[in-house]
Amino acid sequence: MSISVLPAAFADLEIWAAWSLPTEAQRSARRQTVLFAEIEAFYHAMLARIDAALAHLDQTPVDALPEAEQRLMDLCLSLAEVAPAVEQFRQPQVVDGFAITRVTMDRLG
Amino acid sequence: MMDLNAPTSALDARPAGGLWHDLYPELGTGPLDTAGLTSPEQFEREREHIFRKVWLTVGRVEQIPNPGDYFVQDIAVCKTSIIVVRGKDHRIRAFHNICSHRGNKLVWNARGSGQMFTCKLHCWSYGLDGQLRHVPDRDSFFNLDDASLALTPVAVDEWEGFVFVNLAPQPATSLAEYLGKLGTSLAGYPFDVLSASSASWTFEVKANWKVVKDAFQEVYHVPFLHKRSIPDSFTSKSNPFAHLLHMELLDQHARISLFGNAEFQPTPVAATAFRHGSFAVRNEYSDSRLPAGVNPSRHPAWAFDLNVVFPCLILAVSEGSYFTHQFWPVAVDRTVWKSTQYFPKACTAGQRFSQEYGHMIFRDVILEDGNVLEETQSVLASGAKKTFVLHDEELLVRHSHHVIARMTRESEAGVST
Repeated sequence: MSISVLPAAFADLEIWAAWSLPTEAQRSARRQTVLFAEIEAFYHAMLARIDAALAHLDQTPVDALPEAEQRLMDLCLSLAEVAPAVEQFRQPQVVDGFAITRVTMDRLG
Repeated sequence: MMDLNAPTSALDARPAGGLWHDLYPELGTGPLDTAGLTSPEQFEREREHIFRKVWLTVGRVEQIPNPGDYFVQDIAVCKTSIIVVRGKDHRIRAFHNICSHRGNKLVWNARGSGQMFTCKLHCWSYGLDGQLRHVPDRDSFFNLDDASLALTPVAVDEWEGFVFVNLAPQPATSLAEYLGKLGTSLAGYPFDVLSASSASWTFEVKANWKVVKDAFQEVYHVPFLHKRSIPDSFTSKSNPFAHLLHMELLDQHARISLFGNAEFQPTPVAATAFRHGSFAVRNEYSDSRLPAGVNPSRHPAWAFDLNVVFPCLILAVSEGSYFTHQFWPVAVDRTVWKSTQYFPKACTAGQRFSQEYGHMIFRDVILEDGNVLEETQSVLASGAKKTFVLHDEELLVRHSHHVIARMTRESEAGVST
């Protein structure tokens, strides 16, 4: 039996828990390495639940989310990561793009 | 009420039927010489006569909020590394990152916080004010003059929270004078509120810094290079070529205003992001009392402005966020390009999601921009094309090269600029 990481109301998204990644570098790396079919399936599953997820998370200041809610937040951020791949490029990488593996990412604040 | 579906000419801020070049006839309309993009001699001239003399932006005050906070900016074109530190007196100072004893690089990490700077080699220690504080086994030295062994300072100043340094021992102008009307016209834009959080992407590109910069100071490429990522954000039936709403040259600096398509069709995730917050580009004009230098033509179809701060900073401002591009020359065919997108603090998950989507679209758009740069540099090196021809809306490219030529000419002749 696998461990649940997400809030109980989002048990349906547990199968996508591998996309719950805390940094852009990790989310971007996953988008670049899994098959597009999985990216698309994750996109559709997440899109169907994004408003409910954000409504659930909006009840708490975003800096003070409990662990399960933080995992759900990170899952939502992965939807943002994969959206251009599905909606604009129809492939994992930016079409004719600079290699993202050569890019250094940083976040402040 | 302006008809946003009218032909482009009705939206145009140019003199009726005219071109942007008509406003600046002194720049001419002829071809641009390409030699400066591949010439090592030109790179040396730019190093000596521009980069060692002008104000260069290295960061923002929010990166060093408390006494003891510091960050390091390597400036390869000036062959140095600079420590920028907030002192106990809350003043920001800058120093060359080199120990006075035997030249070891003093600070090796990109940022941090502390009471002192201590060299790894022999533990010489300096205060946050650069003064020499401690020399182990001091009695074994000969007549140490502490005052002359302080860290070598670099001129530093701030404008609207941006920290600038000037590598000239005696900068020819103050920062305020250097920024001139561009600076005064943007005063009051809420940079501080909008700098609460940021995401940056740094690229090491095998291309001349001017090849990289020129890619970002025209929007003629938008309908073509960005046809997948942002097919209808900055174009419309009435404005298929993303013609600008405004353009002005401000001495060595420049500014353009981009058109935003009110009929832009958001994708499902974009629409979700809009529902929960706003991100980089908004197509709504509102009388929100932005300073005079933001959307200077007060155009209802305004999306955002690109301000080109000579030599190597682009500062783009929109209503709810801003971003920067910096182009640090390293060699004639190598540049460190860094893009940073700034947002106010996200308080809710919805805002956080909305901003993350804004980051992703911004990043993937600049990945499209990035792809052409190395390819361009590689074929430029052939010398097969000695000149470029410039579109009217590429005036900023023309102006930028003109300023570089003027500044190097004046500096070589010993005239201060």
